[in-house]
Amino acid sequence: MPDTLALAWYLMRLRMRTRLQYRAALVLAWVSQGFGYAGAFASLWIILTRFGGMGGWRWQDMAFLLGFHTLGYALGACFTFVQLRRMEEIVRDGEFDSLLTRPVNTWAFLSFSGFNIEYGSHVILGVGLMAWALPKVAVDWSIFTILQLAASLFSAALLTGALITLIGASALVLRRARYIFGIYFDFWELSRYPITIFAAPLQFLLLSGLPFAYMAYVPVAALLRKPVPYLGDAAASVAVTVGPVAALIAAAFWRFAIRRYQGVGG
Amino acid sequence: MRGFLALAAAAIRQQAGYRAEILSMVLGAMIEVFARISIWKAVYGGQHVVAGITLPQMIAYAIIGATLLSNWDTALVVREIGTAIRTGQIANSLIRPASFPLMLFAENLGPRLFNFAVVGTPVIVVFALLYGLLPPASVAHGLVFIAYVAVSTTLLLLISILFGLLSFWVFDAHSLEWFMRGFGALLSGGLVPLWFFPPALAEAAHVLPFAWITYYPMAVYLGQLDLASAFTYLAVGICWVAGLVGLIAALWSGARRRIVVQGG
Repeated sequence: MPDTLALAWYLMRLRMRTRLQYRAALVLAWVSQGFGYAGAFASLWIILTRFGGMGGWRWQDMAFLLGFHTLGYALGACFTFVQLRRMEEIVRDGEFDSLLTRPVNTWAFLSFSGFNIEYGSHVILGVGLMAWALPKVAVDWSIFTILQLAASLFSAALLTGALITLIGASALVLRRARYIFGIYFDFWELSRYPITIFAAPLQFLLLSGLPFAYMAYVPVAALLRKPVPYLGDAAASVAVTVGPVAALIAAAFWRFAIRRYQGVGG
Repeated sequence: MRGFLALAAAAIRQQAGYRAEILSMVLGAMIEVFARISIWKAVYGGQHVVAGITLPQMIAYAIIGATLLSNWDTALVVREIGTAIRTGQIANSLIRPASFPLMLFAENLGPRLFNFAVVGTPVIVVFALLYGLLPPASVAHGLVFIAYVAVSTTLLLLISILFGLLSFWVFDAHSLEWFMRGFGALLSGGLVPLWFFPPALAEAAHVLPFAWITYYPMAVYLGQLDLASAFTYLAVGICWVAGLVGLIAALWSGARRRIVVQGG
């Protein structure tokens, strides 16, 4: 275990040093991604300030939700997204076959060797929005709520990583997975909003089979003491549990997909 | 022109080959329209009219805006140009008997038209049945709206090609793609129409070409612009098309001088 952790840290440092060779490009990537998100968030700001709120959520509540969403996503995706989005090509080009011959866990190698510091702007934006919103939202801060915030953020990051891993692993079985990432981001966009604005069947779906509601809405609603459909008072505890459970499922599916993997080359 | 049509048709055939992706695009468009309608229903609450706009008008804005006027991942064009530069494929484009920007336009117009037919139309029909869809304010508004859709599509592709060509100087298509997304998300009126914008921002957004992608076409469809104004703004939109074509030609001319192909 210590050896694996040391290797993971070494791979991450290697990747960071490589990326930092092109500092101007990295800064440009941060600025541009922050700008892209700011454009989308500004639209929501206009709606909420013009109409006074959305489904009982005021702008400061939404800013907290958006900050949590962006930060949780970045923490999970920096270890998984760019790496596993390429799974289709990795499999098709035979690169995965060579990865299997290495004496390290394949997922860990892919994940840590591709650690992506381009998510820096997400982290800055997420932390910035939350820092702006936290003093303005109705949260009774205590050691318990601070731990709840940290645990649910960790859970949201695990959930993000788990879902991306599930999709990436499906390329080992189905050969094609790019379009599933498209579907993932369609639902991911929904997870930016309070799910109470959606019809009841979709609310249920986002809380169960497609658990995108736990990426931001459920943990933030629990902290803000807003009623969460179907979960009620259990929202806070479910929010911190979903991520680890999803990670275990993703790990099991990854192992299953590797067992089923037969390669595509000759 | 024959070559242009052949490129567009080839792109359509290529697109039609991936059925799972088409289904995922339909699903994506449905989710997007549904989200937008849910947002407007939630914020309108019990109010009937806000800034002179009713909820059924905003539902029409959401259905048509997210399908015919902005539901297109134009970032792909920027990415395509970036990849062509990074991999050196741009050299192959140079030996073809057509201009690179024109080929890009044709190759992306085909899938766009395919998208209208296979993704946009069914999604519009489904949501029209579910929520009701206001017709155009008048027959004349409807006819002018069709011209606006043509201008919107042309501008969307031209803006993407313009951002993509900047890769010759910036060398980072990924960043350009994000800048374009940021501008487009807010200034096109894709999610929020310009009539809800704060005055200072609205003033700037009204004159930038992004507004012709979603906002002006929908303002015409819903009758927020009378016919005389609709024709005036259509003319301005066409001027933007001409201006962007000139800018792209100038950029491409400059870019060709920067290309150095090594190896062989």
